[in-house]
Amino acid sequence: MTFLGLASKNAWRKPGRTILLIVSVTIAFALYAVLQAFLNGASGAAVDQGRLVVANGASAAQSLPVRYLDTLETLDGVDDVAFSARMRGFVGTEDNIAVVTAVDPERGYRVFGQELGLDPAMIEGLSAERDALLVGQMLARAMGWQVGDRVSITGFHDVQKDGSRNWAFTVAGIFPGKTASTDTYFAIAQYGYFNAMRQNGADTVKNFVVIPAEGVDPQSLAPKIDAQFANSPYPTRTQSEKQFLQSFMRQIGDLKAVVGMVVAAALITIFMIVVNTMAFAVRERTFEIGVLKSIGLSRHRIMSLILSESLLVFTIGGALGGILGWIACRFADPSIGLVFSVAGWVNIAALTLGLGLLSGLLPALNAMRLPIVQTFKAR
Amino acid sequence: MSDPIRLQSFITLSEIDKSYRMGGQTVPIFQDLSLTIEQGEFVAVMGPSGSGKSTILNMLGGIDRPDRGKLTIGNSQLHRMGEGALTAWRAQHVGIVFQFYNLLPMLTAAQNVEIPLLLKPLNARSRRERIRTVLDLVGIGDRAHHLPSQLSGGQQQRVGIARALISDPQLLLCDEPTGDLDRKSATEIMEMLQFLNKELGKTIVMVTHDPESTRYADRTLFLNKGVFESREVAA
Repeated sequence: MTFLGLASKNAWRKPGRTILLIVSVTIAFALYAVLQAFLNGASGAAVDQGRLVVANGASAAQSLPVRYLDTLETLDGVDDVAFSARMRGFVGTEDNIAVVTAVDPERGYRVFGQELGLDPAMIEGLSAERDALLVGQMLARAMGWQVGDRVSITGFHDVQKDGSRNWAFTVAGIFPGKTASTDTYFAIAQYGYFNAMRQNGADTVKNFVVIPAEGVDPQSLAPKIDAQFANSPYPTRTQSEKQFLQSFMRQIGDLKAVVGMVVAAALITIFMIVVNTMAFAVRERTFEIGVLKSIGLSRHRIMSLILSESLLVFTIGGALGGILGWIACRFADPSIGLVFSVAGWVNIAALTLGLGLLSGLLPALNAMRLPIVQTFKAR
Repeated sequence: MSDPIRLQSFITLSEIDKSYRMGGQTVPIFQDLSLTIEQGEFVAVMGPSGSGKSTILNMLGGIDRPDRGKLTIGNSQLHRMGEGALTAWRAQHVGIVFQFYNLLPMLTAAQNVEIPLLLKPLNARSRRERIRTVLDLVGIGDRAHHLPSQLSGGQQQRVGIARALISDPQLLLCDEPTGDLDRKSATEIMEMLQFLNKELGKTIVMVTHDPESTRYADRTLFLNKGVFESREVAA
């Protein structure tokens, strides 16, 4: 038997209580894992920090003229530029949302190709027919689409010149995304086709994505870009891709703070329950702690014993919670956009360690300080 | 049985004062208490409740400290030691046998005996051998993997004695070791303690209410209101 073995035996002496504690901690960490994944997805965990997004300065929801492309391309410090227009629509019923991003295939491939897992054959397929569509893996799985399928997406706002809101496409490929955390719950269409067919907003784009030339600091390039269009009818606002997504999130309310507070309240409540239960469990064993001290276990050994017990509960609960959160993210509706990252595991591990030690600290200190003579009176 | 070899005074309590605070008042337990116990001696301490029996045992075990006076055991001056030093000293030099055994309920007999060894740098094999030896010595080797709840009171007390012996201490302190046992088990436990005293040379100080148990001791001290009375008898 080792010292940790003794701590483990102590922790499991009342299996029912220990299991309930572990379940509490598991639920807390599962909640935390899902929250993290949600915030990660919402703040663009998979975005490239070096890329810049050029959007309308008045509001990111408004468009920019596609002709800005010529200016952007010739600007010093710019390596490449892509642009996109966006159509929000649905398939069948209005709650079955599908988003189509319309791009120039070659530019899109150069700028987003690697991140989205596009290959030259897909781009060839997208360019071959005007109404070709590349579908992200998550969207294809959700809709049950296969390559070669003829699909129809009804635009919420985008109307064709003939008045129809039904946009027909042929699925030319399914892109997987570079990693599991890449958002692939959308489809890619040809900008030329979308622009030619739409009734409103012709020759406009939602935004441009700029890749700075090698050695150029994106943060110094951004103001130069905005300066180019400062006195035009459509001034721009250029930000890093991450900043762009974060400011977009702020427009729909400080979701992060609200969800964070709810989960923090849950975590604190569960933490307090665990501390109280641990303190109670240690108080129950006051006499026994005296016995251990009397047979030679030092104050610090006793403290380590109690801390090991709380750490054990948190380690098992934290690991199970993390796994549960990861499973939830993996099987959740892809449209929610949960991104479970390595940093998420690191955070959970750090929190497990911190809370495990903290929750055992008070009962451990009490046990450590108790004089043996006093513990003998506890029988 | 052979006579114990008395080499020198092993335990010396000299002019010990001890009092407790109770309900805001100071209650004196001992004043100028002195006592000498020789190495290899088996001493029983009797007396009514509140006479200070347990306090003596606690001080001899380094669990409690005198307010004044000198307490020496072997070469160690306990009255000068801090809590950390006393804990380390206790782990090495004293084994304590409790009235209610005080075994950890979720550990087997062998694991209970092993606890003091967690403090020692021993490999698993040496540890197992020592546990087996000491459990065989107290006649409970075949119950090594039983939980306390699967053992009788007498068997649990044997495990308690084995735990006290595992570090091979010179001094055994027994706090009413037969207080929770029937007569047959009590006799077995007292014979066991006598064996440890006579054959292994352990110095034993035993607090008891049971006059029958004192028959096994070399001498019995009667404590009344913190004073040893002159009813000292040789075994």
